[in-house]
Amino acid sequence: MSNAMKSIVFSVILCVVCSLLLTAANTGLKPFQQKNIEVDRQKNILKAFGIIAEGQAISNAEVTRLFESSVRSLWVDDSGRILKENERAPGDLPLYLYVKDDTVKAYVVPIDTRGLWGQIRGYLAIANDGTTIVGFTVFQHQETPGLGGEIESRWFCKNFEGKKILDASGRFVSIHIAKGSAADAMPPEKRINYVDGISGATMTGKFLSEGLKKILAAYEPVAIQFRQKHQPTIQAN
Amino acid sequence: MRKLSKSFSYKAISEALWQSNPVSKQILGICSSLAVTVQLKTALVMGLALTFVTAFSNLTISLLRNQIPRNVRIIAEVAIIAVLVIIADEFLRAFMYDISKQLSVFVGLIITNCIVMGRAEAFAMGNPPWRSFVDGAANGIGYASILGGVAFFRELLGAGKLFGFQVVPKGFYAAGYENMGLMLLAPGAFIAIALFVWLEHTLLKDK
Repeated sequence: MSNAMKSIVFSVILCVVCSLLLTAANTGLKPFQQKNIEVDRQKNILKAFGIIAEGQAISNAEVTRLFESSVRSLWVDDSGRILKENERAPGDLPLYLYVKDDTVKAYVVPIDTRGLWGQIRGYLAIANDGTTIVGFTVFQHQETPGLGGEIESRWFCKNFEGKKILDASGRFVSIHIAKGSAADAMPPEKRINYVDGISGATMTGKFLSEGLKKILAAYEPVAIQFRQKHQPTIQAN
Repeated sequence: MRKLSKSFSYKAISEALWQSNPVSKQILGICSSLAVTVQLKTALVMGLALTFVTAFSNLTISLLRNQIPRNVRIIAEVAIIAVLVIIADEFLRAFMYDISKQLSVFVGLIITNCIVMGRAEAFAMGNPPWRSFVDGAANGIGYASILGGVAFFRELLGAGKLFGFQVVPKGFYAAGYENMGLMLLAPGAFIAIALFVWLEHTLLKDK
């Protein structure tokens, strides 16, 4: 066999063996990986609702149990109408409800928006008055560690609790990230719509403010229903 | 004891840990040492992943060293390393999901880590399998030791924690102590690694 031929045969055999190994590893481990991703998503929704605390050690099984017992997930269209499984169309919005003693305590809006370096993904939980924020979590981002990366830290997320997405006159203004401390940067009547910003991460805050406004505006039809005490009927599936 | 200190494994590991440490002496693998050393836990898992990859790529390449045609040897080495890296990444994703999320792209980048390629080309191509395996593992441990050292100081000074547990007492903060934010950023890692390099060079020169 010539040298060139030998190289080609060797490469082909190597490639086949390598691809077999990779396929085996990928298919063999896929169920575990998907389970992890699903549990991570559930854990973040529970955190946004304040059902579990940040940094609390909790087993995967426990997360799933809590999620299934207290959270209902559903889809709404752009006018806030709840959709049945077979009515789903592109552009519909996912929504999660926290149900306790047969009443909806709060709902979660998934956040997926642009940051400074990449997508920021998280959940924003709003109480059943359609106005007050009860929690905020970030589970994926690419912001600078120590600066913009602080958006996932406990103090920043805690910041959102108790803030409102309406101003004093009841108009929708969304929630904004202030430049520096909200108490210093904003007049008293606006502080309820602003959370403390992160020093050194003005741009991250700016993008997140814009993204939150856009997403919350899309969810306004849902929020209005809650404000009118007209709770959507729960259709768990 | 004498026999142990003369064995090949012992020599390989002590060399890699000290006299010719891949990071602080040969200045290889700096990119990942900067990126994953904000916390001890991620640094050690990264060290472990790299040790696994270097050890087994060295072993495989050494077993195949008489079969690999010379003109395609680099491609063959990269293919073997890439397979091992992807397997390590898949395992982390399946069983250590939180850490794999923090390590993100850097596990994948082990493929381009000079230490792995360097050991494969310089050692495994010319040595028997067991020795190559030990050499790979030793270099992985050498890399992990520096990562662990750098991460220890970055996490301690930058966040006041070790392995995620608060070690700097609350009283210190009340008394005006502050975490050193610089340590959490890449420049902090540069400074920490440079100090390790300096320390090692100074101590070796004295001998």
